[in-house]
Amino acid sequence: MIRTVMALALAVTGLAACTDSGPATTAKPEASATPPPSPAASDPTPACDAAADFDARASFRPTNGTQITAGSHMQTIKDRGRLILGTNQGNVLFSSRDPFTGKIEGFDVDMGREIARAIFGDPDRLEIRVVANADRMDRVADGTVDLVISTMTTNCARWQKVDFSTVYYESGQRVLVGKDSPVQRIEDLGGRPVCAVSGSTSLDNLAKVNPAPVRVTRSDYGSCLVAFQLGEAEAVSTDDTILAGLAAQDPYAKVVGPRFTEEPYAIAIAHDHREFTRYVNAVLDRMRADGTWAKVYDRWLGASGPAPQPPAARYLPCTPPGPEPRCR
Amino acid sequence: MTAVQAPPRAALTRLAGLRHTSPGRLQLLLAVLLVLAALTGLVTGLSARSAGTGTADLRDRAQPLLAEAETVWSSLADADATAAQAFITGGLEPPQLTRRYDEKLAAAATALTSAARRVPEGSQGAEAIRSISTGLGDYTALVATARALNRQGKPVGAAYLSTASQLNRETLQPQAQALFQQARREAAAGYADSRSSWWLMLLLVLVVGLGVALIVTQAHLSRTTHRTFNVPLLTATGLTVLLAVVCAGVFAHQRARLTGADRDGSAPAEALAEARNLVLRERADEALTLAARAGRGKLEEDFGLLRERFVVSGPEFDEVAGLMTKAAQQHDAYLAIHDKIRGLDDNGDYEGAVKLAVSEETATTFDGLTTVLGEAITDRRAAFDEEIRSAGRGLGALTVLGPLLALAIAVFALTGLRARLEEYR
Repeated sequence: MIRTVMALALAVTGLAACTDSGPATTAKPEASATPPPSPAASDPTPACDAAADFDARASFRPTNGTQITAGSHMQTIKDRGRLILGTNQGNVLFSSRDPFTGKIEGFDVDMGREIARAIFGDPDRLEIRVVANADRMDRVADGTVDLVISTMTTNCARWQKVDFSTVYYESGQRVLVGKDSPVQRIEDLGGRPVCAVSGSTSLDNLAKVNPAPVRVTRSDYGSCLVAFQLGEAEAVSTDDTILAGLAAQDPYAKVVGPRFTEEPYAIAIAHDHREFTRYVNAVLDRMRADGTWAKVYDRWLGASGPAPQPPAARYLPCTPPGPEPRCR
Repeated sequence: MTAVQAPPRAALTRLAGLRHTSPGRLQLLLAVLLVLAALTGLVTGLSARSAGTGTADLRDRAQPLLAEAETVWSSLADADATAAQAFITGGLEPPQLTRRYDEKLAAAATALTSAARRVPEGSQGAEAIRSISTGLGDYTALVATARALNRQGKPVGAAYLSTASQLNRETLQPQAQALFQQARREAAAGYADSRSSWWLMLLLVLVVGLGVALIVTQAHLSRTTHRTFNVPLLTATGLTVLLAVVCAGVFAHQRARLTGADRDGSAPAEALAEARNLVLRERADEALTLAARAGRGKLEEDFGLLRERFVVSGPEFDEVAGLMTKAAQQHDAYLAIHDKIRGLDDNGDYEGAVKLAVSEETATTFDGLTTVLGEAITDRRAAFDEEIRSAGRGLGALTVLGPLLALAIAVFALTGLRARLEEYR
């Protein structure tokens, strides 16, 4: 109940944050008179003022549900016969390679499988491409992959290069250290080597810590664990979800300290396929409502307790004028 | 001052005085002959010894070092390719891949140990060998950890394997390549040393000088004594000619064989070794591209460059043309399979691509290719051994025989002139 109230409160804040021209429901007349950009011709959402700013957690409101319109990107994917998912193979519990089967599995992969199920009626119509964290936005923008689901935090800087779905998971950055380490929080690691993945928000966040740790970079978090085990890094710092996966593989490691950042995960999709982002948001909505989200959560993260409420969807109250929304 | 200078000046005056008397002139000629004979004997011995040592060094050290450096390099590349294939197979590694990996590492370690005995302490080569040995220990430890973690079902095993592969490709293989190039420079220097042109020039000058001196002496004697032939001096001249002929024969043979060893042995073996490394890198690129699951990438681009560089024609391959034709066919067959693997992966059939990459068919085709290249390398190394063994022939004997002949020439010269000198007593 409390969660629902909070989610509602957050949703309201999100709406209010979008524009300085008052609540979205009463958008300025001249804004609603401007025809919204294609392909969402039937979009009831009014167009925004050029000066409007946006909330990074908010995405485009679904317009046609999970219906596939002719000529849309969903139709292109359907004709191709498979959905191409960009992800990672080193995030245990989210997307990692099962050493026994060689398949990549996890929470993020299951999100992709649900989208494939929505398009094809078959979750296996999914092609997995491993994308280095540093290249995720480029691979989405250049069309190598249809979408990236890879414990990827949505934020304003990234919105400049790609679009994001609504938030499907709330995480936050913490620290993994050795069992006998006296470290209590990230600030205790000033001047010490701490590993994070290049091109990740975790790495950017480390730069903001005072006193700053010495940043050790690797291409994925599995390699960070190797660096930690070989003594090349004293700690690994990233989202608690990923750290839990690492700690599960190393009985000598423990996760400490409070979450010192907020990391809302969302699915990255190219600016050119805004109708696909709306479609994905519709699929996410359905998953939140029909219990699929909770089922996926239980499958991968159930060991840490029962599934919480999924993060509530926040929608942009208006359609941005340019190719990318500008936000704070 | 004058006291110090007096004795040499007096000696010089005496020596110059010898010119003006008949016995004096004979004494001078005898002295010249004895000095020239002694020098010729010494230089013949030294030249033969230096050429023999150079040839033996090339045979026993430089060329084996080159072969060992190549074994280290190709074994490392092969181990990397094998480990990557074992990885993409998923589940537990197929035993034949584990065996191949173990064999390659054992081969690298053995070659490294014997290479260490062939490089001088503190040299660049010794430094490279030391860092490869250290790195090899780290590499095997990383691969062993990766395997242990895979067996426990821990995905971090994959990260250990990619760390190991990175160490192999970015540190160990470049060091092995540097060692190979170092060995190649040493072999080239070995060829230059065993030809020892400087010694031969000196020997030529001395033999010609000795011959001229003998002829001048005989001409002088026949003018002053009206006797046409001096038998001991004639014998000395004959022996000088014999010495010249033996030296010319032995050294000309050595040089011809050395050229043969380089042209038909070393040069083709090196070119073949590089070709074998090239295809091993192709195979590793293919497996690592699949392991990365990123579709075409930097490694596939590298594959594209490597396939262009694989050539089977050229003067260095003339002697193994038959094997190279076979190698070219097998390489084409392998490339056809590779293109099929890429086609499958690019069209979304990752599982199919992996299945084909680790299939018996692909392994057989690729192993056929490396086997043919290996046969060609063995063939050319045998050619080298034969040529170099032949090049060393006669040099040992000449080391002893040359000075003995020169001694005999000196003895005959002395005998021939002493009889004339005694007539002045």
